Amino acid sequence: MSSRRPSSRQSSGGVSRISDDQIIALVSKLRHLLPEIRDNRSDKVSASKVLQETCNYIRSLHKEVEDLSDRLSQLLATIDAESAEAAIIRSLLM
Amino acid sequence: MHLPHSTLKQEFVKKWIMGLQRCKFSNKKMSIFERKKAIKLSADTAMASARKGLTCWSRALISNPDRPVPTTTRRASSACKKIVKRSRRIRRTAKCGAARKGQITRSIAQCLVRKRTQILKSLIPGGEFMNEVCLIEETLDYITSLRVQVDVMRSLASASARASEPHN
Repeated sequence: MSSRRPSSRQSSGGVSRISDDQIIALVSKLRHLLPEIRDNRSDKVSASKVLQETCNYIRSLHKEVEDLSDRLSQLLATIDAESAEAAIIRSLLM
Repeated sequence: MHLPHSTLKQEFVKKWIMGLQRCKFSNKKMSIFERKKAIKLSADTAMASARKGLTCWSRALISNPDRPVPTTTRRASSACKKIVKRSRRIRRTAKCGAARKGQITRSIAQCLVRKRTQILKSLIPGGEFMNEVCLIEETLDYITSLRVQVDVMRSLASASARASEPHN
């Protein structure tokens, strides 16, 4: 991938940084999860790019949870809907 | 440690329904804001408890569910932008040889990785206590669980919307 030694060996002060091997393992797993990296067929994805995409993705998921909670608080007039509705919803989810 | 999507989904749904039913009995009249908080809290707790204590992030989330958005995120990401700007400026103006440029690029890359790792740690529950190796594993598990949570909440929202439509 590069002629660089894994950065964890260059660390000082006992603080280990993420090594290239770990990044390769992470990339192959994240490739299935992150659309941006999945489209990039090259193996040369930099560590910082992977981290950035991961952080952006997590932030967007958090935002989506917030928005869905907002929407659900309006849709569910009482926390537990009428028993018939609840049964329908449960059957749709399972 | 990694569960298939469908198993995780069932666990989450089961726990969340339990949590939501508990909310019903604790407080009959809730404002819409309180309802939203209860829904989000029960969803987060269900997501964490579906992992059955096997991951650090789930234990951290259960013990501290009301985490505010950390301000270090904004500071660290603006620091990253400064690093990227600085690297572009250096590469444009540097009159040094290829070897020196390579060295500068490497140290800038290390700097960026450090800063972005910091940001990631602030996003994962309990991340500030993890070492680098643990952080990567936890991140993958956390993302998988978040996707299940979003999936189920979205299904419930569209099912509720459909159910509340007037029947003709």
